[in-house]
Amino acid sequence: MRKVVIGAAGLGAAMVIAACGGSVGGGSDAEITTVSKGDAKASGTLVISNWPLYIDEETVSNFEKDTGVQVKYVEDYNDNTGFFGKIRPQLEQGESGGRSIIVPTDWMASRMDGLGYLQHFSVPDDLPNVEANLREDLKSPAFDPDRAFSVPWQSGMTGLIVRTDLAPDIRSINDLFDPKYKGKVTMLSELRDTVPLVMKADGINPDDATKEDWLKTIDKIESAAASGQIRDFTGNDYAGPMVRGDVVAAIGWSGDAVQLQADNPDIEYRMPTQGCILWSDNMVIPVGAPNPNAALEWINYVYDPEVAADIAEYVNYITPVDGAKEVLAKKNPKLANNQLIFPSASYTADCSNQPSLDAADEQEIEQAFERAITG
Amino acid sequence: MEAASIHNEGGASPFKRASRAIGDKLLPIFAGLAILYMLIPIVVIAVFSFNDPQGRYNFEWVGFTTEHWANAFGIPELTSSLVTSLQLAAVATVISAVLGTMIAIALVRYEFYGRKPTNFLIVIPLATPEVVIGAGLLSMFISFSFPLGFVTLLIAHVMFCISFVVVVVRSRLIGFDRSLEEAARDLGATPAQTFRLVTLPLIAPGIISGSLLAFALLIDDFVISNFNSGTTVTFPLYIFGASQRGIPVEVNVIATILILVALAAMAIVLWQQYRADKMAKVEPEPDPMQEHPRESRKHAVTKQTP
Amino acid sequence: MSGGRRALPYLLLFPGLLWLVVFFVIPLVYMGELSLRTGSLTEGFFFNWQFSNYSDVLSDYSQQFLRSFIYAGVATLLALLIAYPLSYAISFRGGKYRNLLLFLVVAPFFTTYLIRTIAWQTILTDQSPLVEFLASIGLTSNGRILDTPASVIAGLTYNFLPFMILPLYTSIDTLDRRLIEAAKDLYASSKTAFLKVTLPLTAPGIVAGTLLTFIPASGDYVNAYFLGGRNQAMIGNVIQSNYLVTSNYPAAAALAFILMLIILLLVVIYIRFAGSEALMGDEASTT
Repeated sequence: MRKVVIGAAGLGAAMVIAACGGSVGGGSDAEITTVSKGDAKASGTLVISNWPLYIDEETVSNFEKDTGVQVKYVEDYNDNTGFFGKIRPQLEQGESGGRSIIVPTDWMASRMDGLGYLQHFSVPDDLPNVEANLREDLKSPAFDPDRAFSVPWQSGMTGLIVRTDLAPDIRSINDLFDPKYKGKVTMLSELRDTVPLVMKADGINPDDATKEDWLKTIDKIESAAASGQIRDFTGNDYAGPMVRGDVVAAIGWSGDAVQLQADNPDIEYRMPTQGCILWSDNMVIPVGAPNPNAALEWINYVYDPEVAADIAEYVNYITPVDGAKEVLAKKNPKLANNQLIFPSASYTADCSNQPSLDAADEQEIEQAFERAITG
Repeated sequence: MEAASIHNEGGASPFKRASRAIGDKLLPIFAGLAILYMLIPIVVIAVFSFNDPQGRYNFEWVGFTTEHWANAFGIPELTSSLVTSLQLAAVATVISAVLGTMIAIALVRYEFYGRKPTNFLIVIPLATPEVVIGAGLLSMFISFSFPLGFVTLLIAHVMFCISFVVVVVRSRLIGFDRSLEEAARDLGATPAQTFRLVTLPLIAPGIISGSLLAFALLIDDFVISNFNSGTTVTFPLYIFGASQRGIPVEVNVIATILILVALAAMAIVLWQQYRADKMAKVEPEPDPMQEHPRESRKHAVTKQTP
Repeated sequence: MSGGRRALPYLLLFPGLLWLVVFFVIPLVYMGELSLRTGSLTEGFFFNWQFSNYSDVLSDYSQQFLRSFIYAGVATLLALLIAYPLSYAISFRGGKYRNLLLFLVVAPFFTTYLIRTIAWQTILTDQSPLVEFLASIGLTSNGRILDTPASVIAGLTYNFLPFMILPLYTSIDTLDRRLIEAAKDLYASSKTAFLKVTLPLTAPGIVAGTLLTFIPASGDYVNAYFLGGRNQAMIGNVIQSNYLVTSNYPAAAALAFILMLIILLLVVIYIRFAGSEALMGDEASTT
């Protein structure tokens, strides 16, 4: 019996190792695949993986009605790194686990494309609504200048979320280091949100930052954390302590602030005096996506200003679709005039786009930050 | 703990008697406090299921409403994740309870070659961090192109529950009075009958404990599920996702319902168990004539020392 | 007949062990191989017997290792101190309600830890009367419980209590009451009777319970994640972040194997010391 068991284990192990090949990660060497719509009408089933509570209740069924495509809309994209860790082995094998659309944040979309995990498309040829309605400032980001593999789903600002009743005087990221608020502030565990914001407060432009700038800023954050000044590093879960008052100021996301105001009117998004970080979550089509035709149909569909207005009204992040504001103004003028949902150019003048890291430095910086935030 | 005292009459000073009286009361008081402690979060969850938050965050008491109870199953994703999880937990609990009990019986009852490696194989999954199990399994499923979903979740859940069941059932088997089985066999029962009519009812509490533990583990698991779920969403996966943007009050409602249903189901199982126990506890009169001088009498002999 | 009997234990073991071998050992072998690779996400990870992964992570994260075992140890002790009298009381005083009481105790664990933990956050918030009271008598650091070692240990204790209670209760409930009566007649002191009879006889339950609590608690990441702050990260959190955040798969795998090794070592020492067969014993019953 024991012999049999060990034999089976040995054999199985050998098979696993053989099947996994010599390399883990490193991307596929296969050529980039390109999808195009052609003349065929979209049909069949479309699997979309998106972040939780990131869409209104009507859009999916409206899309099904209008196009005849069956949608399986799954809210299993909880955070960039967690989702990446889970789907990477599949993408490595050229499979997407049945998904045709996923919604990574800029830097993750860029990483996925770098590893050969995404399919490319042509906006002018296949996505007329995107071509017509994508906001000008989002048309050519540094990581995807031609929008060849990513189309923004929603955008947002990273800045200060403040309890105005408990910490009325916090206006700059530097104020988070004020000993007066020791143990009452949190920052995000997202490297590309937190560190650039602190850099900006120190007068460093994140776009020109060197590896030394990054490491120096991380050091500053680490010592503040070790001293107990920074209570914790969080994902979206800073909201709870904020509502309860355990935390009086945090680095957080603009869309949350709109939501949180309903819970507590004293919670407010404040544009840091040195500006915010702008980012988008993007629709991308992974390799092995079963129904790229329907995926393109979907991307195009949500760029209809009517549809985008419905989504914006529910989600409260920044919509990337021109014309949605005008549609929403008729239905819900208060939201349409909210700077956090439809920010004016002057409001975000000092903001920077989420920086992308040099691939050579990325791992070192990421590890330094992880060490800083897990003491 | 020393409140275990019951009777030790005679000659005690009033002081001693008083302290014993306090000791006697201390245990139930302590137990009551402990039970209270275990139930506090549940009370909070239940109370907040009647909350009426204005925004998406159910953290502070705002006002009373039964609206979310009326709408308990009104969020389709939540409901379907719950159904998935219950199906998964039911099947996985049964499979792991059967497999685990079999292993436990083999380990306690039989002498066999390879006991050490077996024990090792049982313990080591308990000591393995979830992320390693999750990631390792995922790699394996993918390298064999096994589609992710309900089946892979089931495999993973059974895998990490078996060890827990083995440990719990075994602790019941060790303290097990074997004379009852002997008696049954002497009375002409076949081994199968003995097992079904005597052994099983007696170790049932252990199996039930083990299954409860397994179920509690299943309804909690996030990490391993997250790796191996594909696009299947289980209850913990849904809640984890929702917690990123504010957990709907309906989750509190469903959590409360879950506990109530569990309690009701348990009450039924228990009632039947109680009857089985009662029947099994009818012990034979110790009749020296029937005793077989076998080594397993050891237990019974010790028992009769008083 | 005798041939059949000899095969019986193997037949009983076969399906369960097969399951474990296929779905646990093989993935583990894969992770073991991964722990000896080197490289980066962009260049790929290549196998070259990189044993330095192990020494690197051990020196990088020794603090978190130590912290994990201290937290888990304290939580296990607390859980035992709560669970033993509780199980004892339920079993001895619960009468016909004892199974109901047991279920009442376990019921909280049929909800997801996340909701429970959020409930604890609500209870332990800095503004709660409980915390203010504890702060006023100087029992808190900086006037708070949340995001301190205390809250993480409390969370571990709470969340792993059923792992302690169930085996303890099963073992206490099988105890033959006549033995205690006899002991009382012999020793004439309930304290001595408890120490000399009850405690030794329930030792298998204690050992099983402490192990079932300690082992998963030392690898836990949930409690530190939700109830702890930046300075309470346990080794489970470090493994998560190495695997998921920095994509340093070899380091995560190496950390996991070190954790497993230390746990196994502690378990072996403990079992030697406790002298019980509840978990790994070899001298099981003599049939």
